[in-house]
Amino acid sequence: MNYPVWEPHLLGGGMVIGIIAILHVFVSHFAVGGGLFLPLTERKAYRENNPALLEYVKSHSKFFVLVVLVFGAVSGVGIWWNIGLVSPEATATLIHVFVWGWAIEWVFFIVEIAAAFIYYYGWDRLDPQTHLTVGWIYFGAAWASLLVINGILTFMLTPGRWIEKQTFASAYFNPGMLPSLLVRTAVCVALAGVYALITSSAVRDVVLRNNVVRYAAQWLLLSALAIPLAGIWYISTLPSMAREISMGGSPVVTLFAGLSILLSVLLVAFTYFGPYRHPQAFSTVFAFLLAALALSTTGVTEWAREAVRKPYTIYGYMYSNSLRLADMEQVQEQGILKSAKWVRLHEVDPNALERSGNEVFNVECASCHTVNGYNSIRFAVKGWDGAMIDYQLAHLNELKGFMPPFVGTEAERKALADWLLSLNPRPASLGREGGDSASPRSSAGYPVEGAAQP
Amino acid sequence: MNPVIPAPVPVPLPAPTGLLEFLLVFTFILHLVAMDFLLGGVIILTVSSFLGRRDSRHYEFTRRVSRVMPPVTAFTITLGVAPLLFVQLVYGQLFYTSSALMAWYWLAVVFLVLFGYYGIYWYQMQHDELGPKAVWVILVTAILFIHVAFLFTQNMTAMLRPQDFYSLYLNGRVGSIFGPVTLLNTSRLLHFLVAAVALAGLGVALLSHRWKTESPELADWGSRYGVTLFMGATLVQFLVGLWFLFSLPLEIRQALVGNKLAVGVLVAAIVLALLALLTAPRNLSMSSVAILGTVSMMAVLRHFVRMAYLAPYFDPHTLPVRGQWVVFSFFVVLLLAGLATVGWMLYVLFRPVATRGVSA
Repeated sequence: MNYPVWEPHLLGGGMVIGIIAILHVFVSHFAVGGGLFLPLTERKAYRENNPALLEYVKSHSKFFVLVVLVFGAVSGVGIWWNIGLVSPEATATLIHVFVWGWAIEWVFFIVEIAAAFIYYYGWDRLDPQTHLTVGWIYFGAAWASLLVINGILTFMLTPGRWIEKQTFASAYFNPGMLPSLLVRTAVCVALAGVYALITSSAVRDVVLRNNVVRYAAQWLLLSALAIPLAGIWYISTLPSMAREISMGGSPVVTLFAGLSILLSVLLVAFTYFGPYRHPQAFSTVFAFLLAALALSTTGVTEWAREAVRKPYTIYGYMYSNSLRLADMEQVQEQGILKSAKWVRLHEVDPNALERSGNEVFNVECASCHTVNGYNSIRFAVKGWDGAMIDYQLAHLNELKGFMPPFVGTEAERKALADWLLSLNPRPASLGREGGDSASPRSSAGYPVEGAAQP
Repeated sequence: MNPVIPAPVPVPLPAPTGLLEFLLVFTFILHLVAMDFLLGGVIILTVSSFLGRRDSRHYEFTRRVSRVMPPVTAFTITLGVAPLLFVQLVYGQLFYTSSALMAWYWLAVVFLVLFGYYGIYWYQMQHDELGPKAVWVILVTAILFIHVAFLFTQNMTAMLRPQDFYSLYLNGRVGSIFGPVTLLNTSRLLHFLVAAVALAGLGVALLSHRWKTESPELADWGSRYGVTLFMGATLVQFLVGLWFLFSLPLEIRQALVGNKLAVGVLVAAIVLALLALLTAPRNLSMSSVAILGTVSMMAVLRHFVRMAYLAPYFDPHTLPVRGQWVVFSFFVVLLLAGLATVGWMLYVLFRPVATRGVSA
C-alpha cells in the first residue's frame, strides 16, 4: 500500500524469497556446523597423529570455502535484497527495530570471513595450535552470527512483549528465540555431517574413507537426537493459531509439516543404514542423494515455518500484505484505494468496476497471490459465483484463519469481487452475475449449496 | 504532479540521524576501497591477461594478483552490507521504491555477483590450466561486475528523484521499469569505473612490492605498471569528473556551490588527488594515504549531492529518534574486539617465518 507491489509474474514474491532463502539456509547452517567440524576434526587428526585425516580436512576446507564464502555470503545478501523488494514495509520495520543487531552481525561476518580465509590460506603458514585457534575463532564468529539473526527471525513469528514495549531487548529476547537457536544449532551440526559425507565419499584411501564416512554420519545421527526435543520446545512457544494451522487447520501447511517429519526420519534412517552401518558401500552418488534429501527437509521445514506465520509478516503487528493492524480502522474508513499510494485509480470507478477491482487486488492481495502462477487467485476462485466471492471476501479472516481480513469500502469489495469473477468466464448459457450478492443464485448473500461448482 | 513518496515506518530511528549518516558514509568508504580494488582489479586483470598471452611478465603478474582477488571480493560484499543497512534505515522509503520499480534488474545484482565471484575463483584456481582461455573467464567476470556497477548507478540515481517515481509507475509494470539511461548516469558510471582502475592500479603497485624478495624484477615492473595505471586513470578522471559534475542538474550544482563545506570538501579531494599523483612514482605509501583521503572526501561530497537532491522532498533529520544506546555500545565494543581479532589473525599469518611454530 505504501510501496509499489512487485508481483514476479508466475512465481509470486513469496516463492522468489523461498527459493533463495531455502538454498541459503541449507548453506548457512553448514557455514556454522562446518565451522565446528573443521577444528574438531583437525584436532582429532593431530591427536591420532593421522596425516591422512589431516589431508582430508585440508581438502574439505577448500570445499567449505567455495560453498560457504561464495554461495553462503551472496545468497545471504540475496535474501535481504529480495525481502526489501517483496516486503519493503516489513523489512523497513525489522531494520528500524534491529539495526544494531544487524550491525553486530556485520562485525561477526567480518571476523568470520577473515578467519575462514586465514584458516584456508594458513594450512602451510601457521603452526597447528595457531591454525586451530583460527578455526575456533571462525566457529565462534559464525555461531554468534546465527545467535543474532535467529532472534530477528523468531521475532517475526513470536514478537512477544515488543508489541507493547517496542524496545530492542523485548524484540530480540522473544519467546521463540532460545528454542529456535537450539534447533538451528543442532541442524548446523547435522548439515556439517551431510556435507562431510559428500567430501569423505570421494576419499581414495579405503580405510580412511570408511572411517571418515562413519565419523561424518555420526554428526548427523547425534544431532538428530537433539532436533526433535528442541523442536517440541520451539513448537510450544508458537502462537496457538500457528500451531493449529500446522496441525490440520490448513491442509497444505499440515502436509508440509508432516513431510518435514517424514523426510527427517528418512534422512536419519538412510544415514544409519547407509554410511553409518555400511560405510564401505557408500558412494558419492549416495552422498548427493542424502544431501538432496537434507535440502528437501530444509525446504519443507522452512516453508512450513514461514506458512504458520500467516496471516502476518510480524505476528499481531503487520499482515502479510504489509498492512499494520493499527492502521486497519483508518483504511477501512477511507477505503484502500484512497489510502494506497501506488494505484492508478484512487476510488472505485463505477464505469470500470473490474479495473478498480484489479487495483484493489494489486494493493491488498498481490503480495501473496499471483493471478495465474503460484497461489493463483484465478484457481482459488474457480467455480465461485459473485455471491460466493463476495461472501468469502466479507468474512475472509473468519473463513480462512491464515488470511488477513479484507479491508476497504463496500464498493471496493464489490469491485474486487467483480474482477475476481471475471477471471473465470462462464459459459454463455449461465451468464455473468457480476459482483451482485443479491443475485437470484444466492439471495441471502450466502453461498448456496453447490455454488462452489461451476 | 505531486511526488508520491511512501511514508517512513512509524518506528523511531534507533540513533540520531547524524550518527546514522556518519556510519552510512564511513562504512561506504570502507566498501568503496574494497570495491575499487575488485572492479578495477578485474579490469586490469582482463587487460593483462590479454597481454599475458605474449608477455610473460603480464602472465606472471595476473597469476599473482589473481590470488588476492577472492578475499577482496568477499570483503567488497561484506563491507557493502553496512552502508546498505544504513541507507535503508535513513532513506528506506526512497530506496525501496526505486528498487521495487526495477525489481527484476535489481534482483539480478545478486546473481551477477554470485557468478562473478565464482568467475574470480575459477580464474584464480585454474589460472595455469586455463591457459589462453583464462582471458575469456576474466573478461566475462569483468563484464558481470561492470554490469553490477551499472545497476547500482541506475538505482542510486533513481532513488534521488522521487518526483519521477509515480510517472515511472504509471508507464510500466512494477519490477520491470528501468529508468532512462541518461548522460548523468553514464558519466557517473564512468566516474566510478575510472576511479576503480586508479585505485586498483595503486593497489597492485603496493602488492607488487611484496614480491621484492622472491622476484625483484617482477616486483619493480609490477610497481611501475600499477603506478602508470594509477596516474593515467587519475588524469582521465579529471576530465570524467568534470563531465560528471557538469551533468548534475543546475540546481544541484548551485546548491553545492552555495554550501561552503561541500566546496571545501571538493577542493580538498582535488588537492589530495594531485598530491597522490605527484607522490606516486617515489612514495607509494604517501600517495595511497592521499588517495584514500580523496576517496573519503568524494564519499562525503556524494552525501552532500544526495541531500541537495532530496532537500525539496525529504529531510531525514525530522524523523523521530529513540536511541538504543545499550545495544549501540555493545556494537562499538564488539567492532573494536572484532577488528583486534582480525588484526591478530593477520599478524600471525604474515609474521616472519622464524617466529612461527614447529611445523611451519
